[in-house]
Amino acid sequence: MSPLLGVRDLAVTFGAQRPLDDVGFRVERGEILGLVGESGSGKSITAMTVMGLLPLVGGRVAAGSIRFEDTELVGLEEPAYRRLRGGRIALITQNPMTSLDPMVRIGRQVDRGARLHLGLDAATARARTLELMERMRIPDAARVCELHPHQLSGGMKQRIVIAMALSGAPDLLIADEPTTALDVIVQAQIVQLLVELVREQRLGLVLITHDMGLVAQACDRVAVMYCGRIVESGPVDTMFAAPRHPYTRALTACIPRPGLRHGDLVGIPGAVPSVAEMPTGCRFHPRCADAMPTCRQHAPRSVAIGADHAVACRLVEPAPEAAP
Amino acid sequence: MTKYAIRRVLALLPVFLVVTGIVFLLIHLVPGDPIDNLVRAGSDPEQRAAIARAYGLDRSLVEQYLTWMGHLAQGDLGTAIVQRRPVADLIAENIGYSLALGGSALAFSAIVGVLAGVVAASFQDRPLDRMLMGAALIGSTVPSFWLGLLMILLFAVELGWVPVSGARHWTSVILPAATVGLAGMALVARVTRIAMVQTARADFVTLLHANGVSRFAIQSRHLLRHALVPVLTLLSLRIGLIVGGSVTVEYVFARPGLGSLLIRAINQRDYPVIQGCLLMLAVAVMLGTLIGDLLQAAMDPRQREEQRS
Ligand SMILES: Nc1ncnc2c1ncn2[C@@H]1O[C@H](COP(=O)(O)OP(=O)(O)OP(=O)(O)O)[C@@H](O)[C@H]1O
Ligand SMILES: [Mg+2]
Repeated sequence: MSPLLGVRDLAVTFGAQRPLDDVGFRVERGEILGLVGESGSGKSITAMTVMGLLPLVGGRVAAGSIRFEDTELVGLEEPAYRRLRGGRIALITQNPMTSLDPMVRIGRQVDRGARLHLGLDAATARARTLELMERMRIPDAARVCELHPHQLSGGMKQRIVIAMALSGAPDLLIADEPTTALDVIVQAQIVQLLVELVREQRLGLVLITHDMGLVAQACDRVAVMYCGRIVESGPVDTMFAAPRHPYTRALTACIPRPGLRHGDLVGIPGAVPSVAEMPTGCRFHPRCADAMPTCRQHAPRSVAIGADHAVACRLVEPAPEAAP
Repeated sequence: MTKYAIRRVLALLPVFLVVTGIVFLLIHLVPGDPIDNLVRAGSDPEQRAAIARAYGLDRSLVEQYLTWMGHLAQGDLGTAIVQRRPVADLIAENIGYSLALGGSALAFSAIVGVLAGVVAASFQDRPLDRMLMGAALIGSTVPSFWLGLLMILLFAVELGWVPVSGARHWTSVILPAATVGLAGMALVARVTRIAMVQTARADFVTLLHANGVSRFAIQSRHLLRHALVPVLTLLSLRIGLIVGGSVTVEYVFARPGLGSLLIRAINQRDYPVIQGCLLMLAVAVMLGTLIGDLLQAAMDPRQREEQRS
């Protein structure tokens, strides 16, 4: 059976820039895929691409395929895409402070998904909204429906945003750093809610984050992104126990753990290169301690090195491929 | 909302008092003795004193002001010196024309401006957008008189579509309203466009798209609503300019109205009429701004909150 979402060889261009190249990952029903990477690695662009919203920010898909169940999304007509958005695939954005229309009452904003995608009338949609809000543990939901966004706290707003995403009964959720703007306790509650939802309703969830701790805690599988490419992907356990790509190793070494002394935590030397001056060959080689001369010239292919575990690094490649 | 409205109205009271004070003092602030204008040259002191008594000019300023205010409260604005009729009647005869002109100018600024802004925003950075914004830039910089005269030449004299002047037919309001409203229209168009374009970048708009809401619904139900808030501010700020502009434009187009009345009264040094007209114009500006504020608060929930705290 095909996965819920399967992305292959995806490349995105903004004019001459190419912030995504050869991106591939998949998500099954009832599964949480962590998409991690430093700032600027292309996580949000990936989310926008899957949502079919690239034209909104001025980008376009240059190559590759995005399959949602049996539908190819690359090149899908706008009316069909619009039915998928909110109805089958929903987005949760990073900043709950700015994710709701400040001039529209909460209730109406949450109702919309159900009215648009489930064809419910106003009263039935509102009943569904109340139900969803209760599931999001929003106290006094009927009263909250009548409020405007500025009257709610950040954590409450993020619950509303999630309720909004669920309103059209989607099968896949893409959450772009859903907890970064919130304090730690609220973060934990929101993540808990998302995990429960995925398990109960067998949704697929792409959890975009740069928090490896969150990945370890919530995700089933993880895809590590660096400069617009997926450098390693696999089950969370395997990836944390035996990371193979030097970048993944550095990332997992960055997670604070109990018993770790001050000074044990090492950052990754150097900075993320800008899209304009992308390094040739492996994009990580300028910061890689184990870089070989060949890394500068040839981009590594992603190779499977175990059940469901793939790495794009010359160090783990069986044999160097011929120069193109 | 009701509380907010009451507070806004109460806040206007001191402004109103200051305005009446200034309008009242006007007669004493301008150079020359008002009585000189009331009496024929060569009258003897006896006659002067009689006239001063008749107009209450022999009493103290405070007394005069209080009497004047007392009359004002009863709707009595005094008697015109030249026409020898109650000022209130003169104003009542003329105010309808001015309201029609001011209202049309405001409506023209608002409706045409918002439409142009919305169209420009939907075609952002494409030729139509560039064209509209270029026209708006010209419209907001060209002096409206020059344009008014040009329009008279083209539409009234050359094409004969509308009357050259006067106010006998409703079409006669078109040219003066366009002249007064043009600059405002151009500004409204630019503000609408910028507000729509900026709001379109907000996260919540991305989420609306991500929820499958159509482009048209996003534009009409969300972006436009956000754009109307600064547009309302702009329009209520422009009410003063529109009122002021109407005064002179009425004169240019030889239209009856408060402006024409005022300018005639100034030429004739008819102080009660000048006072009455100025007071009406000031009240028009105050009421216009108040309505603008209230509309804005009714539209934007955050506005009400901020003002309350
Ligand atoms: N509208 C755009 N036009 C051109 N380039 C863009 C645009 N948006 C993003 N990019 C480029 O794409 C790259 C990836 O950006 P993206 O927002 O996906 O990063 P991210 O991984 O989500 O980072 P963060 O953790 O900061 O959210 C960046 O290097 C950025 O320069
Ligand atoms: Mg991002």
